[in-house]
Parts: sequence; C-alpha cells; structure tokens
Amino acid sequence: MVVRDRIGVKNVELQKEQRLSTGVKIKTKRSIWKDFSRDRYLYLLLLPGLIYLFVFKYLPMYGIVIAFKDYNIITGIMNSPWVGLEQFERLFRTPDFSQIFFNTLIISGLKLLVGFPAPIILALLLNELRHMAFKRFTQSIIYLPHFVSWVIFAGIIMTFLNPVDGLFNHIIKGFGGEPISFLTSKEHFRSILVISDVYKEMGWGTIIYLAAMTGVNPDLYEASRMDGANKFKQMWHVTLPSIRPVILIMLILSLGNILEAGFLQIYLLYSPLVYDVADVIDTYVYRRGIQEANYSLATAAGLFKSLIALVLIVTANKIVKKSGQEGLW
Amino acid sequence: MVGITKGERVFLIFNYLFMSLLVIIMIFPFWYLIMGSLSDAKLAAGGGLFLLPEGFSLDSYTAILQNSSFLSGFKTTVITTLAGTFLGTFFTATTAYAISKKRLRGAKLFSFLILFTMLFNGGLIPNYLLIKELGMMNTLWALILPNAISAFNIFVMTSFFRGIPDTLEEAAKIDGANDLTIFFRIVLPLSKPVLATIGLFIAVFYWNEFFSTVLYITDKEKWQLQAVLRDLISNTSQVLQSSGTTIGFQKNISESTVRMAAIIVSTVPILIVYPFLQKHFAKGAMIGSIKG
Repeated sequence: MVVRDRIGVKNVELQKEQRLSTGVKIKTKRSIWKDFSRDRYLYLLLLPGLIYLFVFKYLPMYGIVIAFKDYNIITGIMNSPWVGLEQFERLFRTPDFSQIFFNTLIISGLKLLVGFPAPIILALLLNELRHMAFKRFTQSIIYLPHFVSWVIFAGIIMTFLNPVDGLFNHIIKGFGGEPISFLTSKEHFRSILVISDVYKEMGWGTIIYLAAMTGVNPDLYEASRMDGANKFKQMWHVTLPSIRPVILIMLILSLGNILEAGFLQIYLLYSPLVYDVADVIDTYVYRRGIQEANYSLATAAGLFKSLIALVLIVTANKIVKKSGQEGLW
Repeated sequence: MVGITKGERVFLIFNYLFMSLLVIIMIFPFWYLIMGSLSDAKLAAGGGLFLLPEGFSLDSYTAILQNSSFLSGFKTTVITTLAGTFLGTFFTATTAYAISKKRLRGAKLFSFLILFTMLFNGGLIPNYLLIKELGMMNTLWALILPNAISAFNIFVMTSFFRGIPDTLEEAAKIDGANDLTIFFRIVLPLSKPVLATIGLFIAVFYWNEFFSTVLYITDKEKWQLQAVLRDLISNTSQVLQSSGTTIGFQKNISESTVRMAAIIVSTVPILIVYPFLQKHFAKGAMIGSIKG
C-alpha cells in the first residue's frame, strides 16, 4: 500500500515535471518569435551593416581559398584546381622570401622599439606641464602630423632629402660634405622609415595615455608627496603603475601588428635600389599579386602574414588576461 | 602644497624647453613648404632654410590650381569623401545601435563577427578580386564602399549608445514609438557629438585615401587627389609643361616650388577641419571601449 502510494506519488510528480518542462519549452519557443517580432526594427537597422560585413569582410575571407588553388582569372575561384600547399612551398622556396620576412620583422621591430615608449615618455612630460594654454597648444601641434596623409609626408621627406636642393644636403654641403642620396641608400633607408614614422605618430600616440593619466586619483600624488617622493618618483611609482593597463593593451595591439611594417610608407618611399633592405611582406604581395598577377602565390604570402598576426594577438591577449589584467576582449 | 626642490625646478625648465623645441620641429616642415612655395623660383633655386620666402610669387599656386588633373582629383576626392562619410557614419550608427541593445537576440554573436574582422581579414588580393568580381573596377564605388564601415568605429559608437539612459527609450515606448522612431527622433539627435567625431575621422580617412586609386582606377579623370598629388610629386615636369612654360621661363615656377605648392594646397582642407576634429577626438580615441 505504502509502496504503491509512493509509486503513485512518483508518477504524479513525473507527469508534473513533464508537463512543466514541455510547458517551458513551448514558452521559450514562443518568446523567441516574440523577441524577434518585438525587435524587428532593430534587426532592420542591423541588416545593412551585416550585409556590408558579409560582402566586404567575409567574402574576401572566402577568397583566401585561392592560396590553396592554382587560380586563373578565366576559370574563376570556384573552378580553379586545388593544389594543396604548393603555393606555400613555392613561397618558402623563393630565395628572397627569408630576406623579406626578416626585413618585415626588423623594420617593424625597430619602429616598436622606438615608437612604443616615445608616446609614453612624451605623455609623462606633457602631464607635468602646469601651464594649461601651453599644454593645449603643444598637444594640438604634435597631434597634427597624424592627420596628414602618407602621400604628403612622403612628399615632404623627398623634398627635405632631395640630393640636389633638399635642406639636409644643403646643410651637409654647407659643412663641406658630399651630398647624400638618402632614399636610395641601403644604409639610411630603414632609419628614414623609423624616424619618419615615429615623428608622424608619436604625438597622436600620447592621447590615449594622457586620457588615462587624467583618471589617476590626485590623493595618490598628495600621499606620495607626504612620504617625501619627488616628481620623478611620483612619475615612476604613481603615474606609470596607474596607466599600466592601457600600456598593456597598446602592447597587445602592437604585437598583433608586428608584421605590419607600414606598407604605404614603404611603397611611397622605396625603389628597386633599396629592395634588399626595404622589401616587406606587404610590398611583396602587392608586386607579385597585383603587378605580376600571381594571385595565388601572393594570397598565400598574405595569409601567412595574417595567420601569424592572429595567433600573436590572441596569445598576447590570453597572457594579459591570465595575469589578471583586462584584455582587449 | 610643499615647495618644489631644485632638481624639480631644473626639470620643469628643461621640460618647457624640450616641448617648445618639439613644437618647432613639428611645425618647421610645413612652414618651410609654405615659404618655399611662395618663393620666386629663380631666387629659391638651390634650396635654403626658407624661414621667409625668397622673393615673392604666387605663380606656383596658379600653376597648380590651373592644372586639370589636380582639379579632377580634387573633384573625385570631394565626391568620395562626402559619399563615404555620409554612408559610413549612418550605417555605422544603425549597426552600432542595434548591437548596443543587450536584449537583442544574437547581439553577442554579431559583436563577435564584427570584432573578428579586426583580428583577421582576407588580405590584399582577395579584396582586389572581390572588387573585380563585383564589377566595380574603375568606378567611384570601388573608392567609396570597401572602407565605409569599420569595426573600430562601430564599437566606439556602441559604447556611446550604451550610455544613453534606458528611461528615454521606455518613455517613448509608452507613447507608442517603435525602435525606428526612437532611433531617428531621440537617439540620433542625442548622439551629435559621437556622430561628429566618427564622421570627421571617416572624412579625414577618405580625404587621405590613396591606395584604392592605385588598385582599382585606371581612368585618370577618376583618380583621387592623393594619387594625382603623388604623380605630381614624383613627376613635376608635367605641370610645368601643361602651364606652357619651362623652368624659370616666363613664370616664376620650378619643380620644387610647384611640388611644395601642391603639398600645401592638399593639406589645407585638413587644417580647416582640424580645430573641429580636435574638439572631439579625445572621446573618439578611447580604445577602452573595444568591449563587445
């Protein structure tokens, strides 16, 4: 009797549970549709953006398949024959490729070495300016080059370094030296790339650090001053630690871009005379792909680069997150 | 406030000196170009420091402003900048608004799809082939569309929209407004600062865009200004020829004064919008907002 009762109770409970669960299921299904129809106008607003992303960002990702094919413009992407990793083998066998890879790393590494700390130091110095009008004026001047195009900048560089009437050679000649053709010199080309890039971007780079510095609690400066810290100690022990999260995020971004040596800048300044020291993956992709119509090989080179960048940025982000800091995502 | 030490005073003085020097170094190239371009070509030949113009002549500017390819480049760039800025800002806003609503089903997935385009992309050749397949080669669309919407701008706007209080939306809903009305009548007017910021950044991008022309445009009448400028910088003699003169003859122009004038004329529009840009960009540069 007791047993049967128990079974009976169990049955009722089971039935209840079933009824409940099916009821819940129906309810969620209904509410999905309800949510969709409630938010239909939001989806309408989203639609153009999604179509755009699909066509201009995701379709090109599909186009990467030609790195594994022998692409021919007449047969098209779909019908070109698969060749596996042959394009990559061809790429790595190219005698120039190791040089190009090295150039990319060295140019971008030098830019990082000089260009990463420069805005941090500059921001620390700007932060110490107490004369607000002077600070604002300085900021507006040093931000400006960021907004000037590389075409114009290359024009400026070519004007200044011109072997015939450029200012630098004017000065060299004034001191009795021989004029130097800077832009065709293997010795000087990389320095020109690094200096002009840092010159153009370091001012703008301060903006993010300055914004972070305004968020530093003024009590911290007060307290450290009480403890006898001078300005330099405050910079080192208060300001820098406070902006560390921002520095880390910027570092992740820079590491993700380590294979971006600055295509436009190099393209606008280089010439066959300096290919040995200046040719990077992007310029190689452009010449082999667009100019020589070696589409598959160039796509393979491009993919090689973007995969490394993807791995680097994801790894850097993971490491930063593991260390307890906020990452990029 | 405790008084500053001797070391700190020395540091402050050096800091101000250093900043002043930096300002001079940053201004100098533009000053040099302006003075050089205003110089009389015969007097300026052989170069110089150009703290002031050597003689005075506006002939280089006349030559540039009468140059037909410069003018057509100007026209193309004005068209692509206006169209790109309008389309880009508007659709960045619509996309950002939709994903800023956490209640929207799929918002997280869409945010991820957008973020992913920042981490990985098809690369040069697939993008080039896409434009070819779409039949956009040698059209202005190839200059406008591929760069109109960027993931970064979407995230900046999303974080702005998240800052608008929900109560506004709820109140409007009670009055019977739908999401479209709310977006156009309430959210957009409230978002003028961020729209201006993003719009100006997009405009500067289009103004400076050069490589799209190299990739996609063959007709010289459709070249963007920066491409024409590039051509002028590396090959100034054509301007001299088309203005019916050889160096130092009749008019006071030379290859280098014309090159300088071309650079200055193309930079002026940036200088004009720069004060407006500056008013807004502190907000736009907040990278901390890249959170899906």
